Amino acid sequence: MAKAFKNGLKGITGYLEPAERELLRSLIDDVISMLQPEDRTGQDPLAALIGLDMDVAEPSDRAVKRLLPNVVKDDGAASLEFRQLTERSLRETKIGALRAAALDLDKEEIVLTPEGAKHWSMALNDVRLVLAERLDIRDEEDAEHVHLMQDWSQAEDVESYLALVYNFATWLQESLVQAMLQSLESRR
Amino acid sequence: MTLSVALGPDTQEGTRTGTAESTDSLTAPDIPWNLVIWNDPVNLMSYVSYVFQSYFGYSESKANKLMMEVHKKGRSIVTHGSKEQVERHAVAMHGFGLWATVEKASGGPGGNSGKSGGPGQGKGKRG
Repeated sequence: MAKAFKNGLKGITGYLEPAERELLRSLIDDVISMLQPEDRTGQDPLAALIGLDMDVAEPSDRAVKRLLPNVVKDDGAASLEFRQLTERSLRETKIGALRAAALDLDKEEIVLTPEGAKHWSMALNDVRLVLAERLDIRDEEDAEHVHLMQDWSQAEDVESYLALVYNFATWLQESLVQAMLQSLESRR
Repeated sequence: MTLSVALGPDTQEGTRTGTAESTDSLTAPDIPWNLVIWNDPVNLMSYVSYVFQSYFGYSESKANKLMMEVHKKGRSIVTHGSKEQVERHAVAMHGFGLWATVEKASGGPGGNSGKSGGPGQGKGKRG
């Protein structure tokens, strides 16, 4: 079984079983592939260089849209304009955090610096946001319902398996964030 | 939001993580804008408080107060400034996975919120 993250002298440490690491790695890879910008060979190289993306559109996949939300409520045009300027770098920020977390999964004991812990918390959060969309978690009631699913022997279909995975990621992120809050406190 | 948050003393830790490019604004710079964080059923209460503390440098009590406002009222104005400033914060919040939007400050309490619901589709209760 995984051990909860702890804040200590070495930094924030955690331990995951090989199967748990494998699971997290594949979840992280899934989210990375969702965030990977499309390869647009015809794109203006100068625009690409400064992070501009004039061909960007509001994501059609709900999970991707949750990762890259509109910045102005009820104003698609203003949000799109903002996407052209910022979405590429936002995707890169997220992919960077996900890749950093995936790299840490190669080691048996996970030892995180404050920056590494931040990357992990962002990565776990994005993984949970995607799982939550797949599980159709729309409100607190849905979340409660999914939260009740704790017994792996109950996993009989994709839905219940996803719920268990979501709850595992939630538990892991909660333990990490508690350790990060303690670390913040001790560094002030 | 979901789950509870651990309490601890105030902190002034400020790791600025904004990564967005400047988005040159055509709006007059003296018009204040609000950064709004919306409730959603996925983000952990502890995580939202951590983001408010570590990114904005807010004390723990201020971060928790804003977090609870998001949780209970569905949204909270967590900071304000020029359009460019709040847009930069919004990208940083999106980087953390928080649901952030920007809006012109209207002067009234709570800003020009008016409508319910977050910026996305769905059953609408999450906003």
